[in-house]
Amino acid sequence: MHFEVTELGAVERALQAEVRQFLTEELPRGSFVPGLGMNAAKDPAFSAKLGRRGWLGMTLPEEYGGHRRSMVERLVVTEELLRWGAPVGHHWVADRQSGPIIARYGTEEQKRRFLPPICRGILSFSIGMSEPDSGSDLASLATRAVRDGNGWLLNGRKVWTTGAAVNDWMIVLCRTTPVEEGGDKRSGLSQLMVELSADGVVATPIPFIDGTADFCDVMLEDVYVPDEQVLGTIGAGWTQNTSELAFERGGPDRWLSTYLVVEEYLRGLERGPVPHEVADLLGAAAANYWVLHHLTLSIARAVDEGRSPSIEASLVKEMGTRFEQDVLSGIQALIDLEPGLPARSMFERLLVTATLTAPSFTIRGGTNEILRSVASKGLAPSGGSR
Amino acid sequence: MTGQDLLAETVERLLNATPPGEDPWVDLAAGGFAWVSVPESAGGSGGDLRDAASVLRVAGRHATSAPIAETMLGGRLLAGAGLKVSGGSLAVVPGPGLAVVDGRLTGSAVVAWAAEADQVLAVVDLDGSPVLAAARPEQLGIERRLNMADEPRDDVRFDVALSELVTAPLPDGAADDLQRDGCLTRVVLAAGALQAISEMTIDYTSQRRQFGRPIATFQAVQHHLVAVAQSAVRASMAAETAVRTVQGGGGAWEVAAARVIVDEATIEGTRAAHQAHGAMGVTREYGLQRYTRLLWAWRHEYRQAREWRRWLGSEVASSGADALWPRITR
Ligand SMILES: Cc1cc2nc3c(=O)[nH]c(=O)nc-3n(C[C@H](O)[C@H](O)[C@H](O)COP(=O)(O)OP(=O)(O)OC[C@H]3O[C@@H](n4cnc5c(N)ncnc54)[C@H](O)[C@@H]3O)c2cc1C
Repeated sequence: MHFEVTELGAVERALQAEVRQFLTEELPRGSFVPGLGMNAAKDPAFSAKLGRRGWLGMTLPEEYGGHRRSMVERLVVTEELLRWGAPVGHHWVADRQSGPIIARYGTEEQKRRFLPPICRGILSFSIGMSEPDSGSDLASLATRAVRDGNGWLLNGRKVWTTGAAVNDWMIVLCRTTPVEEGGDKRSGLSQLMVELSADGVVATPIPFIDGTADFCDVMLEDVYVPDEQVLGTIGAGWTQNTSELAFERGGPDRWLSTYLVVEEYLRGLERGPVPHEVADLLGAAAANYWVLHHLTLSIARAVDEGRSPSIEASLVKEMGTRFEQDVLSGIQALIDLEPGLPARSMFERLLVTATLTAPSFTIRGGTNEILRSVASKGLAPSGGSR
Repeated sequence: MTGQDLLAETVERLLNATPPGEDPWVDLAAGGFAWVSVPESAGGSGGDLRDAASVLRVAGRHATSAPIAETMLGGRLLAGAGLKVSGGSLAVVPGPGLAVVDGRLTGSAVVAWAAEADQVLAVVDLDGSPVLAAARPEQLGIERRLNMADEPRDDVRFDVALSELVTAPLPDGAADDLQRDGCLTRVVLAAGALQAISEMTIDYTSQRRQFGRPIATFQAVQHHLVAVAQSAVRASMAAETAVRTVQGGGGAWEVAAARVIVDEATIEGTRAAHQAHGAMGVTREYGLQRYTRLLWAWRHEYRQAREWRRWLGSEVASSGADALWPRITR
């Protein structure tokens, strides 16, 4: 467990300023309905604009349309986008994890095929991990693929698959070798890239608690997946998937979901001194955002320095998501409003959505209980002196 | 390896070599470690705030009972007033509470390590300007008291003619700077102590067996380990970032934020560490309480954490909605 303190350098600061300016020009406040972190709207035109700016696939190699920039630079960009409530939904998963995992494990041909459109913000991806009977115990999954000519025949069912009804591709974790008696469930798994418009794929949106319908039930029935769409090595799916989760867990999307609720609350305060309980909440919130920002920055820097801070990422995601909920409860305790719809202010709209969706913050991307178990693996006795 | 790492390692070695029960001050003073960040021109050991913090952090990690923070703070006050440090320990009146009336310095305060100090220093307001007043303990009314960790926190009463004290003007803002820097010492010490209790809890739970296995293999206990580790990590990040900011100039916002984080971390971290230790943690025969008692005591020093939180929140409110994000990411 290691968190080095780090600061943004001049180039990173300049990038931060550039993104801020871009957002105030492209998406002036009041001109759009801001979203809550990574739950923000899908807007392919906006994603394409980011792509043209060079702000997607930032860390990917240039020969595939990427920009060979650092994880810290990517963090600078994503922090600004999330904090603004920008419509990042279309490219979010592709940029955060599908692109990097394809860059790491994909064949030359796959990299040429998938990475350039990911970097342009035009290709969207879903995560095909969870199943009806396999959530936290992901390795127990039942979706299986059997050999069929020059490819695989895929059968099974994925669930909670965000965006599957509208996205282009899904990376499916499935079983390609049956588990032997007493064998390790984590071996024999593979990652297949499935086109969501392919024959045999039926994605049905599941109504979400706030009345939206983004995550889906995905039936996979005799879906043919050619060998060119196998990601990495057959049988190495668990390891590959674990490294994908590291991309998924260490970012600012894990503590910024309710930031705009706080900001809009602040905007609504009357001028002049605030009551003690308001100052207490704002002081605690500011301090926590500040330290989470620095912890996340430290993780990104560690990746740039060649380390793989997956334990650190789990530790920060676990506390970041709890904080997202705590700060919301704090605001709820201060307001005099009976939140209702249609919302009469931006604050009310954000508050209602945040209240309804907050329970998902500590579930999606691995539950906090599972994250604590993962993090505790990194807490072995050091034998150090004291 | 940075200069700070080297310094930390040296202090670490020194403290490891100090037998339990022996006063670590003698060796710390002999090595000049209590005067780090006090300019050499003022008789100090030189170095900057980051160096001072690396010494304090190790002191916190060892629950070192010695007036290092006080002597550093006092040394910087003396240097700021153009005076020199003597080589003995210093005590500092942590806040307002003293006033000059008819040429006499009067009032009372809780002062750490006052009775054994060479000098007790106070920043006093004289016609709107800050002045350093240095007293010898004999010139003051001192009632000896201890904090919850058995460290001297004396009740000190001032009623002495200013002309009998050594006085010298301080730069403007010295009183606020002392609040900030004093708070920062507690934050850094606490970060070190929280790291120590995280390590202790990991070690203890891997050795202690119940139901035929190490208790660290129980998921509920692992969750305590994670809670203590998170407390340590947050506190360290907050402390180090605040130190860097103050070193660069200003930093009251960051120190307040760090104090808020350390306070939360102290509550969560000490609770989880004790829970994971069972009865062993609450005996004086085992080391955990040395740390947790100090951590609980520091929460109330250099103003209550609550006051820093309120000050920070008021700053946030008066700066407005659009200023928060740039401030967080500054
Ligand atoms: C908004 C949202 C979007 C999502 N998007 C996607 C997506 O795009 N793709 C995808 O694949 N998945 C997605 N998920 C699914 C998510 O990954 C799972 O919900 C998560 O992994 C938990 O699985 P589960 O819901 O089946 O809960 P379960 O595993 O059934 O857990 C229920 C409870 O039991 C606890 N629990 C389970 N096992 C243990 C254990 N060993 N120790 C302690 N506690 C345990 C859990 O922590 C939890 O509190 C999404 C979920 C949400 C809420």
